[in-house]
Amino acid sequence: MAYDIVVPRLGWSMDEGTFAEWLKQDGDQVNAGDMLFILEGEKAAQEIESFDSGILRIPPQGPQPGDTVAVGQLLGYLVEEGEEPPFENISVGKATTKSSSDQESKPPQKDSNVSAGPAIRRLARDLNVDLTALQGTGPAGRITQEDVRAASKAPANLPATATPMGGKRSTSSPRARRIARELGLDPTTVTGTGRGGRVRERDIRAAAAQAGKTTAPATSSLASLSGKTIPITPIRRTIAERMLAGIHQAAPVTLTTKVNATNLVNLRVQFKAADLGSQTPSFTDLIVKLSAVALTEHPLLSAQWTENGIVVPERINVAFAVDTAAGLLAPVIEDVGAKTIRQIATDAQALIEAANASTLTAEQMRNGCFTVSNLGGFGVDAFTPIINLPQAAILGVGRIAKEPVVVDNQIVIQEVMALSLTFDHRIVDGAPAARFLDQLRSCIEQPSPWLMG
Amino acid sequence: MATVEVNKHLTKDTALSVFRTMQIIRQCEEQLAKSHQRGLVHGACHTYVGEEAIASSIFAHLRPEDVVFSTHRGHGHALAKGLHPRELIAELYGRKTGCSQGRGGSMHLFKPEIGMMGTSGIVGPCILHACGGGYTFKIQKKDNVAVACFGDGAVNNGAFHEGMNMAAIWNLPVILVCENNQFATEVAFSYSSGIPDVGRRAENYGIPGFEVDGNDVHEIFRVGGEAVERARGGGGPTLIECKTYRTRAHAEGMGDFTYRTREDVEEWKTQCPLKRFRAAAISDDLVTAAELDEIAAEVKALIAESHEFAEASEYPDGATAAKHVYFEGPHDPPPPAPPQGERQTTFVAGTLEALDHEMGNNPDIFVMGEGIGARGGNFTTTLGLYEKYGAERLCDTPICERGFVGLGCGAAMSGTRPLIDFMFIDFINDSFGEMINQIAKMQYMSSGRLKMPILLRGCIGIGHSAATHHSGSYHSVYAHIPGLRVVTPATPYDAKGLFTHALRCQDPVLFLEHRELMSIKGPVPAEPYEIPFGQAAIAREGNDVTVVALSLMLHHALDAAEKLANRGISVEVIDPRTVSPLDTDTILQSVGKTGRLLVVDEAFTPCSVASEIAARVADAGFDDLDAPIKTLNGVFTPTPYAPTLEKEIVPNPETVQQAIEDLLAE
Ligand SMILES: Cc1ncc(C[n+]2csc(CCOP(=O)(O)OP(=O)(O)O)c2C)c(N)n1
Ligand SMILES: [Mg+2]
Repeated sequence: MAYDIVVPRLGWSMDEGTFAEWLKQDGDQVNAGDMLFILEGEKAAQEIESFDSGILRIPPQGPQPGDTVAVGQLLGYLVEEGEEPPFENISVGKATTKSSSDQESKPPQKDSNVSAGPAIRRLARDLNVDLTALQGTGPAGRITQEDVRAASKAPANLPATATPMGGKRSTSSPRARRIARELGLDPTTVTGTGRGGRVRERDIRAAAAQAGKTTAPATSSLASLSGKTIPITPIRRTIAERMLAGIHQAAPVTLTTKVNATNLVNLRVQFKAADLGSQTPSFTDLIVKLSAVALTEHPLLSAQWTENGIVVPERINVAFAVDTAAGLLAPVIEDVGAKTIRQIATDAQALIEAANASTLTAEQMRNGCFTVSNLGGFGVDAFTPIINLPQAAILGVGRIAKEPVVVDNQIVIQEVMALSLTFDHRIVDGAPAARFLDQLRSCIEQPSPWLMG
Repeated sequence: MATVEVNKHLTKDTALSVFRTMQIIRQCEEQLAKSHQRGLVHGACHTYVGEEAIASSIFAHLRPEDVVFSTHRGHGHALAKGLHPRELIAELYGRKTGCSQGRGGSMHLFKPEIGMMGTSGIVGPCILHACGGGYTFKIQKKDNVAVACFGDGAVNNGAFHEGMNMAAIWNLPVILVCENNQFATEVAFSYSSGIPDVGRRAENYGIPGFEVDGNDVHEIFRVGGEAVERARGGGGPTLIECKTYRTRAHAEGMGDFTYRTREDVEEWKTQCPLKRFRAAAISDDLVTAAELDEIAAEVKALIAESHEFAEASEYPDGATAAKHVYFEGPHDPPPPAPPQGERQTTFVAGTLEALDHEMGNNPDIFVMGEGIGARGGNFTTTLGLYEKYGAERLCDTPICERGFVGLGCGAAMSGTRPLIDFMFIDFINDSFGEMINQIAKMQYMSSGRLKMPILLRGCIGIGHSAATHHSGSYHSVYAHIPGLRVVTPATPYDAKGLFTHALRCQDPVLFLEHRELMSIKGPVPAEPYEIPFGQAAIAREGNDVTVVALSLMLHHALDAAEKLANRGISVEVIDPRTVSPLDTDTILQSVGKTGRLLVVDEAFTPCSVASEIAARVADAGFDDLDAPIKTLNGVFTPTPYAPTLEKEIVPNPETVQQAIEDLLAE
């Protein structure tokens, strides 16, 4: 059996050495304990002992004196009389050692919220770089200093990079940013009261409360009034925060129009006459369905503003407002476009029941992309609904009342209904929003063809 | 103790058995040297070639319950104590089947099951550990012996002096075997010692000492037998110097002829202990050549088989790399109810109650320290116990901190539960290496087969012009070390509960009492109770800011919180109670509520518990933070003496209050 002769490790951390010379000739008999070759390690040249006996065979292509050799590299063989050494296993010159460790794979980038530490945010401010426009290359998609610097060098940013240093900069604490996210506020619009103008949690909460005051100016003075204080329930607080956000974070505009709902009323009379029980569609159900039809044509009204761009959903999920004892809830009917009116009616019925029984799950209120709020039953003509962020628009439905209407130059009595559409002007402009409303109007006026699906 | 007769002259059977051990060692070492050259041995490899007679002859007198503590050149010791060559070779190959399950390698061989208590990469401590083994046998009234094997390099180390002295004054059943191979790496003993021999040093300590031919089996067997007999019979320790020579390089792969000549080595090879034994035993008609040849052949097969076994064995699973740092047992009991009733004691009295109770229940507990015997402790930590439990369990020590901490390590390894009462942490720093290299690592190196129930207690902290050698707070330093528990109680109630837990747990504990707290009073239940480690106390609830404060600083933080409460500021105060393990969860929960964190600690800031807490919260609690994390620490300076200087360097209630206000303004 052939014994391998390999480069040993001398000392604690040697990885390679210099082959100095063989102390025996090719073909010599070697006995265990004989010195076989000389190897130079980190400290000194050393004679290397053979632990085995045999005939030394030195491969012609093996290391020459002065060659660098790696620890573990095969140098030659000790063979028995007449045995052929497997020279083909011996590489020329320096052998490759263990392959270098695998490159660490980068985690996939996250494309939702901006993920960047405080230092990066400050740098971005100093360099006037918009973090929301960056793709982070750090772990878990975090934005790194390099990303920000690279972006500041990118042409689009050039004109703005000459921000004076030392200027007053506003920072916000991580907690303030988190609370702002939860309340739907933009922390950069809030004035900080912390050291160096840092925006703190209290600033965000104060800003949110302030925003509340604009709509209800009496709030603070009320506090000193004598009277009963109704505790703020979690659901009340959520509604408050969402409503505030709908006003302060979006750019809401409301359009109103009047619709001839005579055909819709007739249709509903027929449905009722058919005695469908719980599957009888309500006006809201019908309008939900018709809204989905119009949204398919005008998808921007169902889109969402995110920091990475305007996201247009694949499926139209429509939320509808339900008044419950606990407060306003907006359960979601999924994929309205693909559902029959019968399914929509069934779904809506179940959701309303759950809402009243306080058993709606968070899941059932998630992912809406448009909301229908029907106050017609309360005798309201028209109103200005508040957007349910991050949705782009909400439709307010007024009461249906008989009015004199001019049809074919004749004054006739018709069923008339007012629609109020509040939309987010950040996402969509007035004209396209008006076109959507117009299409919805025509769908309501001639509903039957759109209810086939 | 009854005298134990030991056969000091080789019979045929013992002769063959000693020869077999020497063969196993020699052939195993040659295999390992070869495997080292081939890269199968991953780290260092110091062989015992040329010195086989020593362990083989002395250990022939030992029983499995006797304990051996060894050194970096320890393969031969492990094999002579009965380790199967498979387990030795597998350990050097880094395999799961190795005696330390791949956590040790050549210099950390553990097989406590057969009394092989470990080889060590540090020169010296094995002497102290053997004293600890001896102390265990004294406490447990067993006639076992503890053996330390070490080189000539160790005898100029303080451990040798301290160990010799402790073995002498306590008359320990210990055998100290110096294998004088004339070199410590490349430094000649003739250079590093004022006198050429080691054995005669024993006289100065008042114990028997011998200088023997370390390559002569008969001679070593005889002297070793006498020493074992003496130790078992209560006659105390023996020092045996075996003069020998290693005929291979200091470690495999190292050069050999810069400090000694080829001729010297060749000359010593002619003195090979195996050759000499063979020649003498055959000519004395003790054994036949054929019998010895048969043994050599049988051992050859054994080593070949062991090598194959080791090479075929699996490597340990990388996922288990951090296993066995601490004792792995059932989970700690839940924390007890908060103090009830009117009963008050001082901080120290709380721990004394706990100690008394545990000593009454557990005869393996003994206390060592300066003045802890009849005097009852510098801080009355053992008051009244000496009268109750006697001098062996309340053992006053000479001033040799390294020595008695090392002894405590060996005692814990071999089955007792030492409590080292060190007065001031400044003193125990002399035993830093014993704590972090030995005590902290034994459970790990032995892959969890050794337990380390040792408690080290004493005071920390600045105050009353104690000046810089009586006022250190080094808990951060020790909290850096895996394997140690570091406890910093702040109230009498916590002190008693944590102390009881420390006396029941299986890990080494550093119990650090602030000197300014030792006489404070507080509610303490009379009955025993445990407070498990790693569970912070919420000392005061609040909403605006979290203050983490430990030891004396807890009281400052509570004072400040009280003052601020009058101004409508609500401070939550958390006492971690133990800094290792550190209860980060409780702190994070609090910061989740308040958004603000101040850490107050008297110890310095750099690389501290305070900076560690700050780092962990900055990481896991990032989104909860409404302000930067602040730390308030002692000033980075030795402790000055003058009161005007001293007061400047430690936080006080006013500076804590200021720090809280500053943080609220962030
Ligand atoms: C405290 C300590 N200092 C230094 C070393 C490095 N070292 C390892 S072995 C050695 C020589 C020890 O010589 P000796 O005690 O005579 O044992 P030998 O190697 O001769 O068997 C030294 C200095 C160490 N392991 N521990
Ligand atoms: Mg030596």
